[in-house]
Amino acid sequence: MDRYAWRRLRNSIVITLSIGATALGLGWLILILGSLVYEGLSGLSLAVFTQMTPPPGADGGLLNPIIGSLILTVLAILIGTPIGMLAGTYMAEYGKFAKLTVVVRFINDILLSAPSIVVGLFVYEILVAPMGHFSGWAGAVALALIVIPVVVRTTEDMLSLVPKELRESATALGLPLAHVIRYVSYRAALAGIITGVLLAVARISGETAPLLFTALNNQFFSTNLNAPISSLPVVIFQFALSPYEDWQKLAWIGALIITFAVLALSITARALSASRKSP
Amino acid sequence: MNSLAGISHGVQSPAPTIADRSIDDAGKPAAKILIRNLNFYYGDNKALKSINVPLYERKVTAFIGPSGCGKSTLLRILNRIYSLYPHQRAEGDVLLDGANILDPGQDLNLLRARIGMVFQKPTPFPMSIYENIAFGVRLFEKLSRAEIDERVQSALRRAAIWDEVKDKLQANGLSLSGGQQQRLCIARTVALRPEVILLDEPCSALDPISTAKIEELIDELKDDYTIAIVTHNMQQAARVSDYTAFMYLGELVEFDTTSKMFTSPGDRRTQDYITGRFG
Amino acid sequence: MALSANAEASAAAMSRTKVLGRLRARDLVFRHLTRAAAILVLIILSGVIIALIEGSLPALQAFGFDFLLEERWNPVTEKFGALAPIYGTLVTSFIAMLIAVPLGLLIALFLTELCPMWLRRPIGIAIELLAGIPSIIYGIWGLFVFAPFLQRTLQPVLIDWFENVPILSSLFEGPPYGIGILTASLILAIMVLPFVTSISRDVFEAVPPVLKEAAYGVGCTTWEVLRHVVLPYARVGVVGGVMLSLGRALGETMAVTFVIGNAHKVSASILAPGTTISATIANEFTEAVGDLYTSSLIALGLILFVITFIVLAAARLLLLRLEKRVG
Repeated sequence: MDRYAWRRLRNSIVITLSIGATALGLGWLILILGSLVYEGLSGLSLAVFTQMTPPPGADGGLLNPIIGSLILTVLAILIGTPIGMLAGTYMAEYGKFAKLTVVVRFINDILLSAPSIVVGLFVYEILVAPMGHFSGWAGAVALALIVIPVVVRTTEDMLSLVPKELRESATALGLPLAHVIRYVSYRAALAGIITGVLLAVARISGETAPLLFTALNNQFFSTNLNAPISSLPVVIFQFALSPYEDWQKLAWIGALIITFAVLALSITARALSASRKSP
Repeated sequence: MNSLAGISHGVQSPAPTIADRSIDDAGKPAAKILIRNLNFYYGDNKALKSINVPLYERKVTAFIGPSGCGKSTLLRILNRIYSLYPHQRAEGDVLLDGANILDPGQDLNLLRARIGMVFQKPTPFPMSIYENIAFGVRLFEKLSRAEIDERVQSALRRAAIWDEVKDKLQANGLSLSGGQQQRLCIARTVALRPEVILLDEPCSALDPISTAKIEELIDELKDDYTIAIVTHNMQQAARVSDYTAFMYLGELVEFDTTSKMFTSPGDRRTQDYITGRFG
Repeated sequence: MALSANAEASAAAMSRTKVLGRLRARDLVFRHLTRAAAILVLIILSGVIIALIEGSLPALQAFGFDFLLEERWNPVTEKFGALAPIYGTLVTSFIAMLIAVPLGLLIALFLTELCPMWLRRPIGIAIELLAGIPSIIYGIWGLFVFAPFLQRTLQPVLIDWFENVPILSSLFEGPPYGIGILTASLILAIMVLPFVTSISRDVFEAVPPVLKEAAYGVGCTTWEVLRHVVLPYARVGVVGGVMLSLGRALGETMAVTFVIGNAHKVSASILAPGTTISATIANEFTEAVGDLYTSSLIALGLILFVITFIVLAAARLLLLRLEKRVG
């Protein structure tokens, strides 16, 4: 085979491999989503949303974990978003040229990808152990610690995108920076910041590890944050690893619900950021 | 940065008597702003060298020169908007009604309320047309709803845009055309009742018709405001200004009345630029 | 007229200064608030490190450096060693990266060079959806679908193939459990794939088109352009992206916990069950009785945090260097 043909062959191989790789990657997605739908959809019923988790062998639903997850998610967002936004605002505005910002950005990016189980351990040490018991508060704080880096990053990125002429125009009217931020920068970056929050929600919806030893789990319906509270991911963990078929079934249904919620949030976030791009 | 000691600078100018209204001994109008020995640095790079030029009260002074000559840099010193960036610094005297605005004690917010600026790119805030004007006014003064309405209307009239927007005051500022947006920015600046208006190539992003409208506007505005305009369009400078300053490579080459400047300039370089030999 | 106009101006200036004083006070408060929030991020990191060290102290004091080398993990005799979890973490991540990196690069190549324009966004979105699926979903899918599948198909094949191969047979021996290190690695690979892909794609797209066009213009094939132009230019970014993905893989918990088998053993065979740091902690923490047991688990967490911190910090530094060079 002459040199040129050899090069052509190598090229074709690589091209075929790359198409194959893409097909493989997409294939996994379809396989996983397919399994979810196949196993979970059949069990989806009103009872899932209205009945508590049952003991093995009995009928039941996922009411307490769903409500628990909702409560924990909302709390985590309420705690984490303001802190994240304020920090991101400092980094993009007041501290734009400060050394502190460089350091915080670096640390924040590491926290962004840090193992979430370590976050759980940390909150265990600072909240659960001193308090003497597991609690919903600890779970919410653990999730908030995962929300913060996400919101910091998106807030800083979005505020940095605000054109400097816009900022200068507001400053040229005589406004101090806080007012420039409040009336102009925040409004201009609003869609992007909301997108960031949605992404944070999607991220924590599926997080299990941080909840395992903070909020723990609760078989019964409870909204008491001072006690262990149920959550979907933890229930899925417990039920899936159990030997009981009806529990396993509920685990699949829960998985379907979480995946659907996460995908819906991601798509909404994407649509929001796309609509922002078209002026 | 801003100390309240700067207040004394802001109200230092004694109320002039009718007798010395805007005419000094030499028969020339009084200088609202006097620039003496001004040097400006971007980091270590000296961008402006020993600038000496007056801006006469209620006259239009144009700054012309090839790209990079420093005219925009000079304009941005007058309202100290460069102070937003730590690597930029100015040395020398810039006297507004006799008080040096480069003084470290200068109240920057107050200065910018007295000296307004319109930028090259129209920058309507992300709010309604009404709010664009009203929010600045509301922040600085306690006025009733009716009074604010009146201020908004008079500002929009002043900027010759009232008729075009009076029926859609709640529409977003961004929904206007480029020329209208720029006039909105002018209205926004005028609403705060400044004493000086700085225009940084205000028409370079606009079509000829909008440009003509704004040039008309400048002619009306000079009855009440001292105006400095940077433009790369010589014909525009000749049309709208009373005095012209020609800058080249960071130096002020020549300053004179516009009629003299364009008919018989003193410096060879001025003549070359005006006749189109370079730039 | 001029007199009153100027007097009016002075009066306006006075009231304005009062207002500005108030506005500036608010500005100062806000400035300090945002600064405090930024510092909080640093405090959180320090807090994590301090809390982990404090929690691990009993175990570290009891076992010393041997903790890292000891395979035994016995809650009854209270003898704990981190060797099996560390080994499992490193091996599963290594194998996962071995699979995910070439696949990710190939997909990135496809998306940037070969894919028709109209397909680019949908496929890109699909890949990102893969990244968004929570890890517990991978876990449950792995346990109920993938592992049984591997047990029936891949594992018997591997055992058969390598049975008589001298050294490699020990890599692939043992009964086909379905779960085990290999299965966990494969699931990790699927999880990490979207990250490698999207970072690689971003880096590939940042290569100036001029460079690629010049290469194509001389008659290079797509593969040659990738190998001789794109990859060298994007090398730092790709390495940074790979390390970021590695950091993720090391810390992954739920996907691995379901399918790793939870055996505190170091085995040569990748078909055998094992454990990772995060799987151990996830499975045993709530059952841990006794301070030494809990402390050993926290010590494991500390080790994991240190490993991932180093990998992630190195990745960020590399990527920072890349940004400096390009921008």
